[in-house]
Amino acid sequence: MRNKYSLVVAILLTYVCTYGQNRQLLYDFNEIPQSLMVNPGVSIDFKWYAGIPATNISFQAGSSGVAVDDIFADDGIDFTEKFAREVIYGMSNTDELSGNYQIELLNIGFRGKNEDVFYSFGIYNEGDAIGYWFRDLAILGFEGNADNLNRRFDLSDLKTRGEVLNVYHIGLNKRMSDKLTMGVRAKVYSSVFDFNSTRNDGYFVTTEGTNNIFSNTLVSDMEWRISGIPSIREAEKDGTLANTITKRAFFGGNLGLGVDLGFTYNISDQTVFTASLLDFGFINHSNDVRRYTLKGSATVEGVEIILPDALTNPNQDFWDDLIDDVEELVPFEENEESYLMFRPSKLNASIRHDWGEQIQSNENCDCGPNVSQGGNRGIRYANSLGGHLYAINRPRGPQTALSVFYQRRIGNILALKSSYTVDKFSFTNIGLGLNLQAGPINFYVLADNLLGYRNLANSRYQSFQFGLNIISWGKK
Amino acid sequence: MVKKFGYFLLGILLLTTLQSCIENQNFDQFDDLRIEPTLEASILYVEAPENIINLAFAANFYSQDFNFDGFSEAFFSDKVIDGVVTYIVENTTSKDLTITVEFVNEAGNVLDTEIFDIDAAPPAVMDLREIPYGGAGRNLDIIRNTSGIRVSAENRGDNTSTSSISDPKVTIRSSGKFRLSVK
Repeated sequence: MRNKYSLVVAILLTYVCTYGQNRQLLYDFNEIPQSLMVNPGVSIDFKWYAGIPATNISFQAGSSGVAVDDIFADDGIDFTEKFAREVIYGMSNTDELSGNYQIELLNIGFRGKNEDVFYSFGIYNEGDAIGYWFRDLAILGFEGNADNLNRRFDLSDLKTRGEVLNVYHIGLNKRMSDKLTMGVRAKVYSSVFDFNSTRNDGYFVTTEGTNNIFSNTLVSDMEWRISGIPSIREAEKDGTLANTITKRAFFGGNLGLGVDLGFTYNISDQTVFTASLLDFGFINHSNDVRRYTLKGSATVEGVEIILPDALTNPNQDFWDDLIDDVEELVPFEENEESYLMFRPSKLNASIRHDWGEQIQSNENCDCGPNVSQGGNRGIRYANSLGGHLYAINRPRGPQTALSVFYQRRIGNILALKSSYTVDKFSFTNIGLGLNLQAGPINFYVLADNLLGYRNLANSRYQSFQFGLNIISWGKK
Repeated sequence: MVKKFGYFLLGILLLTTLQSCIENQNFDQFDDLRIEPTLEASILYVEAPENIINLAFAANFYSQDFNFDGFSEAFFSDKVIDGVVTYIVENTTSKDLTITVEFVNEAGNVLDTEIFDIDAAPPAVMDLREIPYGGAGRNLDIIRNTSGIRVSAENRGDNTSTSSISDPKVTIRSSGKFRLSVK
C-alpha cells in the first residue's frame, strides 16, 4: 500500500520535468514585484513593495515520459502490461521526472534616495529535484539478465539530484538610462539537505563464460552523495525534526554563494529586449556529508575448482573467497569528504513589442504619455507581444523552451498575460496569468498548461504560482 | 469603484475557468503489478585433468563439499518462483567416469542428487542436462534449503591410460536460471 502511494506521489511530485522552473508567465510581467526574482534588471516603477510572507508560492511538476492516466486509468488493461509498456520500455533515459517549489518567506523592495536605484531583499525556501529515467537499470530489474546475453546494462542511466534550501538574497536594480536598466542579485544559499548521483559510469553484462557457462561482469564507477540527510534521519528518531530542519535552513547547514544578473534594454520606445542569468552559484557541502562509492570491475563465473591447485587447501571456502574477491574488486565504500554542487543555472531572454493605447503608469515621476521628454518612462501600452527563450542547466545538458506571449493591460488595475510554450516534450502548453491591483493590494495568479486541467491525470506538466503583495508608488 | 469591482469579478471569473477535473483513476491496480525478473549466473565449475585421476589410488578420486550460500540468501530464497539448473559435463579422458552432484542443506543432509555416467573418450563426451525446479519440476524447497554442494567423482576405468585428445580432463559446468518475485 505504501509503495503504491509512493509511486503515485513520486509521479505527481516529480512532474515538472523539462519545464522545471521555467516561469515564462512571470518573466517580464513587471506589474508583479516577483518579476525581479527572474530578472533583477527588470524595469519596474514601484516606490516600495512588500510580499506578504508565505503567500507567494510557486509549484511546478511534470514528467516528460508518462502521465498518471497512462498507467492508472481504470481501463481494464492488465496493470503489469501497462506498466511495462508505458514506464519500463516507454520511457527513455532522457525522460525525466522532476519538481520544484518556492515559498517566499520575506520579500521587500524599496527605492533609494537615488530614484534610479531600487533595492530588494528577502528569503525564500526552495525545493528542487530531478531524476532521469534509469531505463537500463529498470529493464534489468524487470526482466533480469537471463536471455540478455551480451547486453550491456548502462549504469550511467542513473542520474538524479535534489535539494531543499533557503535562499537569502539582496538585489540592486538601477536605471542606467532611459534605455537601459540593469540588475544584480547576490544570494547566500543555506542547504537543508542535498542528494545527487549524476556522474555514474559503467555497465553490467552477462556473456558466455570462459570456463563456466556464463560470465557476469560488473564495471562500475558510481557515486551517491548526500548532505544533511543523516542528521535529519537522526532528528526524526529523536523527535527534533523541526528544530533540525529550521537550524539547517538558517545557516546551520551547508552554505553557498550565487548571483543573478539581468538587464532590460529599450531598443525603441515600443520594443524591449531583456535577459537574465539566474542562480549562477554553488553550495559547498562540508558538514553532515556522506559519499557512497562503488568503483571497480569484476567478472564472476561462479565457484571455480581447478585441480590440482584446489587440493592444496582442503578447508578452503570457495564461496566466501568468491564474495571476498568481488568485494575487493568492486568495493562499496563510504566517506565524509566535502563536495561542491553547482546550482541549476537558468538563462532567460525575451523581446517584446508594445502597442495600442498608452496608459499612464503609477510611477511617481514627471513622465508619461503626456510628457514629451523621458522616452517611454511612465508609459504602459495596452498590448504587448513577444517571445521568450528559456534554458536551464541540467545533468544531461541544457534544456530549452521557447514561448510566445501576449499581454493585455486594462488600466493599471488588471493585466492579463497568455503564453504558448514549446519544447521537445510538448506543443500544447498554453498558460494564463492574471495580475490584479486593488489599491495597494496586488494579487496575481499564473497557471501553465491550461489544457492539462481538462484531465489532470493525463497531464504531464502543471505549474501554478500565486501571491499577494502590498505595493506603493509613492504617490500622495 | 464600481468599475474596479467589475474588474475584480472578471478576475474571479477567469480563475474559475481554471477549474480542473480528473478522470477516474484506479490506484489499487498497483497491487496487481508483477515484477518477476529472471536471473542467470554460473554456479560451479570443476576441472580435473587426467593425470590427477591417474595419480589417485582409490576409484573415488575426488569428493568435496563446497559451501554455497547463493541459494539460501534471503533475497533469493524468499522470492524464488521457479528455475532451471543446467549441467554440462564433458569428458576427454580415457576413463569411464561417474560424477555425482548433490545439494546439501545446513545440516549436511542430501536434498537432491544428480548422477552423470560418462563414457571414456575419444570421442569427447558431453552430457547436457537441465533440471527444472518449481512448478512441474522438482520441489523448489530443495533450492531454498541448499547451503552447500557436494561433488564426487569415481573413476570406473584404469589408472594408467592417457587419452589421445590433447589436454584430457573432465569438467563440470553448471548454471542457474531462476525467476524471482520481486513485487
